[in-house]
Amino acid sequence: MTTRFRRLLGVASALTVGAVLLSGCGAGTAAGPAENAAPKPGGDLVFLIDSLGATWIPNNSSISSYQGQIWGNVTDKLVYVDAEGNLSPWIAESWDENADKTQFTLHLKEGVTFSDGTPLDAAAVVANIDIWAKGRPDEGINRIGLFPSANYAGAEAVDATTVKVSFSAPTLSFIPTLAYHGSILLSPATLALPADQQADLTKDIGSGPFTVEKVAEGDSVVLKKRDDYDWGPEAVGHEGAAYLDTITYKQVAEPTLRTASVESGQAQVAYNASPQDLDALKQEGLTVETPRYLGFVNGYALNTSVAPFDDVKVRQAVQHGIDRDQILSTVYTTDWHAAESLFQSTVPEATDHSADFAYDPDKAAALLDEAGWTKGADGVRTKNGQKLSFTLYPNPYLQASQSVDELVDQQLTSLGFEVNLETYDVPTYGQKVIGNATIPATEITRSFVDVGTVAGVLTSQKKGDEDWFKLGTSDATLNDLATRIATATDRDARAKVADELQSYVLQQGYFVPLTQIVQRVYVQSPEVSGVSYNGLAYAYYLGTWLNS
Amino acid sequence: MLRTYGRFALRRTGQALVVVLLAYLFTFFVISILPGDPITSTLRNPDNGFTGDDIARIVAYYGLDQPWWVQLGSSLGRFVVGDLGVSLRSNLPVGTLVLDALGSTLSLAGAALLVAIVLAVVIAYGTQFLPPRFGQGALRSLPSLFLSVPNFVIGLLLIHVFAFGLGLFSMIDTETPWGTFFAAVALGIPVSAQLAEVLIASLDHESRQEYVAVARSRGLGQGALFLRHLVKPSALPTVTVLALIVGELLGGALITEAIFGRVGIGTLVEQAVASQDLPVLQAVVSLAAIVFVLVNLIADLAYPLLDPRVSIGSRGRTVAAPAAEEPAPLLREEVSIV
Repeated sequence: MTTRFRRLLGVASALTVGAVLLSGCGAGTAAGPAENAAPKPGGDLVFLIDSLGATWIPNNSSISSYQGQIWGNVTDKLVYVDAEGNLSPWIAESWDENADKTQFTLHLKEGVTFSDGTPLDAAAVVANIDIWAKGRPDEGINRIGLFPSANYAGAEAVDATTVKVSFSAPTLSFIPTLAYHGSILLSPATLALPADQQADLTKDIGSGPFTVEKVAEGDSVVLKKRDDYDWGPEAVGHEGAAYLDTITYKQVAEPTLRTASVESGQAQVAYNASPQDLDALKQEGLTVETPRYLGFVNGYALNTSVAPFDDVKVRQAVQHGIDRDQILSTVYTTDWHAAESLFQSTVPEATDHSADFAYDPDKAAALLDEAGWTKGADGVRTKNGQKLSFTLYPNPYLQASQSVDELVDQQLTSLGFEVNLETYDVPTYGQKVIGNATIPATEITRSFVDVGTVAGVLTSQKKGDEDWFKLGTSDATLNDLATRIATATDRDARAKVADELQSYVLQQGYFVPLTQIVQRVYVQSPEVSGVSYNGLAYAYYLGTWLNS
Repeated sequence: MLRTYGRFALRRTGQALVVVLLAYLFTFFVISILPGDPITSTLRNPDNGFTGDDIARIVAYYGLDQPWWVQLGSSLGRFVVGDLGVSLRSNLPVGTLVLDALGSTLSLAGAALLVAIVLAVVIAYGTQFLPPRFGQGALRSLPSLFLSVPNFVIGLLLIHVFAFGLGLFSMIDTETPWGTFFAAVALGIPVSAQLAEVLIASLDHESRQEYVAVARSRGLGQGALFLRHLVKPSALPTVTVLALIVGELLGGALITEAIFGRVGIGTLVEQAVASQDLPVLQAVVSLAAIVFVLVNLIADLAYPLLDPRVSIGSRGRTVAAPAAEEPAPLLREEVSIV
């Protein structure tokens, strides 16, 4: 028995050593950066992705991190949003709005066509806006969740290149929404198809720089360059058609195989690697891109209606008791940034409020003392026989959430908290945590188009509001700030209210920011140049070339 | 004789239908007791920004708001007339999805079975005729090595060496002949282990029989002895194991396909389970049940042809029983010796 076991071990280790040596050779040949080489047309880019997502029905899938990659290169949008959240013209050359921001007029670029030859004119835009706002839920087609549907009154084609869109109340978020990943322009013929045919990607016609060449369901999607493309967003700085001939999105579920394929030169981009592997990949000469997107930072919305967070001092103690630098150095890499507010710092209205929640364990301990929580023999603080205890539910939609929560658990435990962790998968989390009013702290990861969206999550002044802090309408100051944000008609004035609101929410300890979110990680071969990332952190390959 | 065969086949078909129906019901109930439904859990992602009303209308479109017996009734009704429905995940027809995946899986499983048989026969032949000094013992321990190394380790090793190292195939297109070959090797190795164990055991048993000694004394060569006298009696237990291996191939395909990035029945099941895609799962589970029952039926029918001592009784049950039980004590005996 023992000799056999030894023999077995010998064979296994010989095999492993051989494999490591051989794969090492492969990796060596992949390196060799050629930065700043002149763009050259041609080339086939292979993008390895964890999953191709679920359905291809445009309204139901374009928001997904997976399908969004492909939609972004196949379709155009009316407005472009860059990585800093700035809006610029795209298919809409310019736009006007009335004083109370209830009517918007879009002026479209001329000569734009879908790849089926039909013009991208005012009628096509009206058909698109209509389905974004309403969907056809009785036929299985969603509306776009982030479109300001509640106020939508209708869109009409004034002439071939002019569209008028009306809302029943001020809707400053309308123009930014047009740049969002859900708002993709599709041929009216596609929009008219029933759901089961829209689910066939080859039938979904856009006007983007690439067209769908081949789809192997659940395996790969091949895009082909459109030679007559000439209406890319000015902000990207590339005129005319794309350089690349084709882009292949190939599903490879195992993350190490994705990055090893790029190392060995079989692919150019590997999507979503684990943060812990990134430093090693960089040392091998690969490029790592971690663009951020617009939205809320990762953090906890505290429930003010349950103990112990019904006390402002306890909430502030949590804010000051968390060491965010340790989270960044332990769970993430230097590509991640600490939170400065409750918004990602790429949001144009975000202002730096990091002093309001800076790590200060002494201050946190003093706050808990003041609030009457005293440490017992077991290190857990108590007050009137109650333990200073709460449960965290790691957010299953965010990859590193559990590691972050485990670290927060350690940090708060040393202050005298008793933190429990309960981890659920997506369906169970949806049932037990989302919408449950007794959850003490909800972990947020949420992108938004426009800071106006924020009003709908803070209080419960109207139907559908999310009431993150379970305040109802009890906080008059917050009600007022939320209303002013929601009904604003001037962006500059609204930015000042947004600053006030960030300051107020953080000082009240309603929200505990942790880190800025990076949801999309790109590991790239050094031969890839000229990729642009929009405000939603999607890779756009219009101006991309391979300098191999 | 023919009549007995006919009655036997009819009874087995009836049993097969019951098995398929039970598998169908079982899948339905397992998925139904899981929390939530696939549509709601997708739409409930807070980043999507849908209200409860939006979600309810989409859920109603798919009929997921109906009580379970209504859903089961309509699902069964469609299944009986051959309509496999539409995938909840992708909205594509389930029939197309399954057919597309089936081709890939069949070529992988077929190639893997070939690899497994060749490997097993080579190993078994070696254990009989290789002199002990030249690694007969090592050959005998190969099957247990093959069984103890997990499928995905073999797969990852093969990919690192032959795809990334030697560039024989690419992860971008793993359905090429080389890609299929290496995936088949990864899947076939553990399967060959089971085959080889049984083959070795029965070869050992047969070679101790007197007729072999007689044949040897008459000066029969090794190859002729193996082919003429040893293979046929050893084939019976091997066929039993072959029938069981179909299940192994289907199960192993899941891991192999995921590692090699192939789209087959395995990946289809994996995605369907992850997204609670009931129509796809039911189609695949029913298909698997049909395949399994069919293969076992074929194996049962093959026994009498391989060994005249196995006769068809008037009751179907007695047909399979002696053949299935016969190799078992041999196996146990040999394992303790190895």
